[in-house]
Amino acid sequence: MFEFLFKYPGAVFHKGQFVLLAPWPLWILGLGMLAAGGLLLWHVRRNRGLLSGVRPLVIWMLETAMVALLLFLLWHPAISIATLQPRQNVVAVVVDDSRSMAIREGSQTRSEQAAAVLDGKLLKALGQKFQVRLYRFGKDAERIQKSSQLSASAPASRIGDSLQQVLAESATLPLGAVVLLSDGADNSGGIDVDTISQIRRRQIPVHTIGFGREKVDKDLEIVDAVLPAHTLADSRLSALVTFRQFGYAGQKALVSVRDAGKVLASRMVQLKGDGAPQSEPLLFNAGLAGPKTLEISIDPLPGEQNRENNAIHRLIDVETRKPRILYMEGEPRWEFKFIRRAVEDDRSLQLASILRTTQNKIYVQGNSDPHELEEGFPAKPEELFAYDGLIIGSVETSYFTQTQQDLIREFANRRGGGVLFLGGRFALAEGGYLHSPLAELVPVRIPDSKGTFHRDFSSQQLTAQGRDSLICRLVEDPGRNAERWSKMPQLANYNDVGEAKPGAVTLMEVVPAGRHAMPLLVTENYGRGRTAVFGTSGSWRWRMWQDHTDITHATFWQQLLRYLVSESPGRVTGSTPRAVLSDETKVTLRAEVRDKAFEPVPNAVVEAHITGPDGTATSVEMTPLPAEQGVYTTEWDAQKPGSYVAEIVAGRGKEELGHSVVVFRREDGVAESFRTAQNRELLEKLAEQTGGRYYTAANAARLPEEISYSEAGITTRETKDLWDMPAVFLLALLLRGSEWLLRRRWGVV
Amino acid sequence: MCRPLVRCTLMVFSVSALVAFQATFRQFPGMEDDPVPVPPDAYEKTEWAFTRLMYPSGTHASVFGAVGSWPTDYPKADRQFVQGVRRLTRIHTRSSEQVVDLDGDEVFNWPWLYAVEVGHWGLTDAECAKMREYLLRGGFFMCDDFHGSGEWNVFIESIGRVFPDRPIVEIDNQDPIFHVLYDLSERVQVPGIQYWYTGRIWEKDGKTPHWRAIYDDSGRVMVAICFNQDNGDAWEWADHPRYPERYTSQAYRMGINYIIYAMTH
Repeated sequence: MFEFLFKYPGAVFHKGQFVLLAPWPLWILGLGMLAAGGLLLWHVRRNRGLLSGVRPLVIWMLETAMVALLLFLLWHPAISIATLQPRQNVVAVVVDDSRSMAIREGSQTRSEQAAAVLDGKLLKALGQKFQVRLYRFGKDAERIQKSSQLSASAPASRIGDSLQQVLAESATLPLGAVVLLSDGADNSGGIDVDTISQIRRRQIPVHTIGFGREKVDKDLEIVDAVLPAHTLADSRLSALVTFRQFGYAGQKALVSVRDAGKVLASRMVQLKGDGAPQSEPLLFNAGLAGPKTLEISIDPLPGEQNRENNAIHRLIDVETRKPRILYMEGEPRWEFKFIRRAVEDDRSLQLASILRTTQNKIYVQGNSDPHELEEGFPAKPEELFAYDGLIIGSVETSYFTQTQQDLIREFANRRGGGVLFLGGRFALAEGGYLHSPLAELVPVRIPDSKGTFHRDFSSQQLTAQGRDSLICRLVEDPGRNAERWSKMPQLANYNDVGEAKPGAVTLMEVVPAGRHAMPLLVTENYGRGRTAVFGTSGSWRWRMWQDHTDITHATFWQQLLRYLVSESPGRVTGSTPRAVLSDETKVTLRAEVRDKAFEPVPNAVVEAHITGPDGTATSVEMTPLPAEQGVYTTEWDAQKPGSYVAEIVAGRGKEELGHSVVVFRREDGVAESFRTAQNRELLEKLAEQTGGRYYTAANAARLPEEISYSEAGITTRETKDLWDMPAVFLLALLLRGSEWLLRRRWGVV
Repeated sequence: MCRPLVRCTLMVFSVSALVAFQATFRQFPGMEDDPVPVPPDAYEKTEWAFTRLMYPSGTHASVFGAVGSWPTDYPKADRQFVQGVRRLTRIHTRSSEQVVDLDGDEVFNWPWLYAVEVGHWGLTDAECAKMREYLLRGGFFMCDDFHGSGEWNVFIESIGRVFPDRPIVEIDNQDPIFHVLYDLSERVQVPGIQYWYTGRIWEKDGKTPHWRAIYDDSGRVMVAICFNQDNGDAWEWADHPRYPERYTSQAYRMGINYIIYAMTH
């Protein structure tokens, strides 16, 4: 219809340039139109006869439009467009041959549908105008002779890499266009900007033909699972599992986390609307130390078409280290005893403490040797920074020297440790913290007043963030957890700690009798570390007022202290930007190396000892990154699929600076089973950005005609007249016919 | 009783348990002839208070009459001792004592507990169960001022029902309880007031002092037993010129060590 009315295909208008071929200047056209309009106005006013109201105006508008159209046609409108020279250009036809193309859509697979399009008319029609080079691609593009060579068996599809390869191969050829037949299921996360830029530079349009349903009928798919890369042994962890479904809205499905087949956690979830990503947290215990490959899955439901996308793997390093926490307490009190007891029950934490028993004596517990802490609170960075976390109890700031106060701040800021401030009669506002460097660290605005510590029994309640926080999770189910907290014994005392600072998160509030709720447990990130305030020294009542077998008090404190230290970096911190290599082999390892004072070490010798899935070990030297002091990197080829453990060891001379463990996994052919619906958005975007068009299998027959219009390859510029388009004639007819009909209706003909 | 009413009653009880208030100071009649006035700050809310156990003497009450033996040295020993605790440590200490029994749950608000003359006590089974729960939750119990094999047997009769399965052992000299603030490797037998009249530092057949304990599964002292000694009298008569200073000094140090140990272990 479009072509009937406008004489040419849409691509001509889309790609061509509009021109007026008459030699006269454009301003004369404008002037002519104005003059015609003026004359007609004078004429209509003079001869309006029986016409009244807006009727003369309507007549004038129709007549003016008609004259303007005729004047416009006198200026000879046309489209100038570059057209590929017949038989002199090459067109690359690139066909997706990955496993997702083997998915059946009705009676045919996607690959069979593509072959049918190619063999039906496309190749023949293209062949009549161009030299056609046929490719198939998975991870790489490969030249083939005929569509029967398609097997839909490649374990991955990388559209960007394959297009680059095709362009490189045809660098010396007059490549006029690329035709891409695919379902758009790219495994590399999309087509990178470099590839798009390269195609645009060469002005090669990529026309895409999409296959596959844009929505699958019945499918459950795990989209992602977010887990920390490292954790401490026996930690409670949360895996945020994102999944989506088609065709099962309202039904229930079981989401699980498994380690070597053993179910660590599972949860029945109610499925939401079709295609909408749905996220659910799953809580589980990390268990014993060591690298682990966890399987996060959703159980298949009856009639599911693709069960290969129901599980993904995530790696986690359950660390062997036992973080050390230093607890500085200014006076003997029950909270101190019961916190110590809670930590003693935790195999993964170590607590050293200094207690001021009298004005001039301290009592040290948990020290690893008799000289540790014998001088009291550390005054040197290498001594304080040996700990991963710091608890400051009921201690006046005046007890610390200025150097020690600065060190405490740097403990969070530079060392990346966690600092917890407790309530008490010498704590926070009572201890002069507001006017010290420590005020910056405390995640609340400390009140500028005294009398903020109250020895009154008070209840506590979780905030919305507290209900989601792992620190406050006593039982797995969020509803039951909130109920559990509502039945907890009261705190023995509380501090009015002030409002939470912007960016800080209030997890728990204290609700004193007759007063409004106020922050009790507040956390925030500070520098490389994190800080928290727990504005009470009365949580010991949770222990003394519950059965001796109850572990609520210990669980809370262990979780709070694990939060404090689990992300405190060691002196050597290893990482990788991608822990799961999907159908690729190159892994980048990065290590940050610091000395005892946590200053970057630029002259370290850093090696990665990598153990592969078959037990073979390799050592790779890591080189300093010039832009970042103390940072070392390397790129390494993971030859085989499976899980790898890299132990990064750093030294300087004879001094061992530390080590860190990074785990990663190479997966081949797995990603291909995910996102199996046609990614039309990607194909449309690719076509749009390169000057091509997106087609479906149904309208792909139009492609051979439209493909001729391209700036790439060997072209000639054609000028196509527009004055004789049927649409112009119909418009003229419409204008005159309308005027005639109106005049007739108004009785002035 | 109809079901809604039962539910309502249960709810009231459970809520009242959650929003309980800590008991404040209360003066009980003393049995000593050296009364002391109630301190002006007796009602101050503090971290620690000298908590005296009010226990029944049961069949062993003949010497002490209807009141029983629990208020021996009360309240002067308590109030005089806490003055030392205030002066010598950073513990936020109340000037007055707190008397609790094992019939209610108030004892759970006071994780340090002292009892005297336990050679005359007679806990009921319910009280034994409450004491066991208190100690397993983290409470600390110091008992004092009982002498000789007869009183030991009376003590055992009740404490054996508190912990039938845990042995009573001598505290090793290296145990932190003797070093947490004061080094008490060398200890002497602390006599009671009878020393004035008899010149003996022991009573009955209790010639040898013992510092014994019952430990929890983590090796922490739950029950500290001062047998064949009378720290209570040493605190009570600390201000009397006839009572030797060296006994008072040790009693203060021992008591303070036991408190700080209870607050650190």
